Amino acid sequence: MNYLLHILIMISIYAILSISLNLPVGYAGLLSLAQAAFYGIGAYAVTLFMMQAGINFFAAVVLSVILSAILSVFVSYPSIRLKGDYFILASLAFQIIVFTILYNWIDLTRGPYGIPGIPRPELFGIVFDSLPKFFALSGTIAIGILLVAKKFYSSPFGLVLKAIREDELSAISIGKNVRKFKVLAFAISGGLAAISGALYASYVTYIDPTSFTLDESIFILSIVMVGGSGNLRGPVTGTLLMILLPEGLRFLGIPDSVAPNLRQIIYALVLILLMRFRPQGMAGEYRLD
Amino acid sequence: MTEILKLENVSRSFDGLKAIDGLDMNIEAGKISAIIGPNGAGKTTLFNLICGYLYPDSGRIIYKDKDITMLNPWERASSGIGRHFQDIRVFKKLTLLENLLVTFNDGSENPFKAIFGRKSRREMDKIKIAMKWLDFVGLADMKKSLAENLSWGQQKLLSLARLLCGDFDLLLIDEPVSGVNPDMVKVILKKIRELKELGKTIIAVEHDMTAVKEISDRVYFMDSGRIVASGLPDDIFSNHEIMESYMGLDNVA
Repeated sequence: MNYLLHILIMISIYAILSISLNLPVGYAGLLSLAQAAFYGIGAYAVTLFMMQAGINFFAAVVLSVILSAILSVFVSYPSIRLKGDYFILASLAFQIIVFTILYNWIDLTRGPYGIPGIPRPELFGIVFDSLPKFFALSGTIAIGILLVAKKFYSSPFGLVLKAIREDELSAISIGKNVRKFKVLAFAISGGLAAISGALYASYVTYIDPTSFTLDESIFILSIVMVGGSGNLRGPVTGTLLMILLPEGLRFLGIPDSVAPNLRQIIYALVLILLMRFRPQGMAGEYRLD
Repeated sequence: MTEILKLENVSRSFDGLKAIDGLDMNIEAGKISAIIGPNGAGKTTLFNLICGYLYPDSGRIIYKDKDITMLNPWERASSGIGRHFQDIRVFKKLTLLENLLVTFNDGSENPFKAIFGRKSRREMDKIKIAMKWLDFVGLADMKKSLAENLSWGQQKLLSLARLLCGDFDLLLIDEPVSGVNPDMVKVILKKIRELKELGKTIIAVEHDMTAVKEISDRVYFMDSGRIVASGLPDDIFSNHEIMESYMGLDNVA
């Protein structure tokens, strides 16, 4: 039962991450390799706000979301004019910079030693310290974000993003400030990713920079690619598949020394097969060119 | 006459080659102006300068008595200059209705309103306006289908409807009848005339001389980045010198 709850909590955390990345990727057409950076910014910011400033978890989450959204502008504003591959490189640079700062700013982040003993979330005297309680929290937040995202996509804002994705020049020709919309989409995405980071930090109660590497960014992007982008079904499907698949391997009795490698091979295989046979992902509607 | 658009001594070069060379132009409000001229005369460059996709090296562009020379493309669009592209550029994965709804620039596209706002009466009004224009171009029955399912000619009509819904005053129309069948040509020309009756000012680039004769109030003949001649359609078309330099007399009759 505990094992199942752990899986569900991880699914809710990654569902938020993939939904957040779906906004720039599937709606604004911006492929980003910086999602783990915002995930990490959220995790560290919440941790430091709670442990250094003694702020309640939920207030700390709000602050971290704002911080992450503001930091996202540093990558999006200067680089949003760059097309396709160049934007990916700019986001990659941001990812590397954030990781390097987390790793080396030892006074603030304790660097490679990590930060242990992160307190659990607390609200009105309820401490979310057991697995069922924590799942109640992370599941509620994930579903809440799912509903908000759904509203986003069907709103005039979502429609403009979709139009930009379809034809940027045409969107400009009807008076849309494309740059502003892209910066906004990226900021919202960064803010949402910070919520995942906050949940992760207070769930595991220990963070170090290795959880927020480029590999992690690639993994999050893979979730969106595998599931498909441009709607909500895509990222949710991708999250279920990419989290449950390796867990399924445990039941096949594969020895621990082989399992992690096998997992990487399966991820790669899934990506290659999708690229060949279903470039829009399992349940996506947008096909990246 | 009231001028809606004025170009004063506008020049633009590409790698030393003058695409637009000291061009002056006055566009009268509420009229259909046609720009004709051989390939490479600078017609599309001129459109791009007016829309702001290119900036002039020198000269000024005045729209409704305001200098817009250095404005961004989207700022020009939101001040009322609409563009109909030669290659259409409708939003293919959006439905016909969505293609029109997205043209409204009324602040409702703010992401915070997306979370907290409710489906207001204003949204219903917008749908009504959009449906009115879909009906105008005769595509109301297909409002829920994706734009990519339309024929080429229908996409041109949708693009016109988008310009109307967006409430643009000056419409730049690039080759409205190229590549569509003769029946659709009639429909599109009729719609363009109706646009004029609605008070829109239209500048069209078109190679089909029959179409130009049929719709335009004034014709501008462009060559080598300049307006070489302008006047009433009959005057331009009966000017043998111009017609000869353009396409040879035989094709004009």
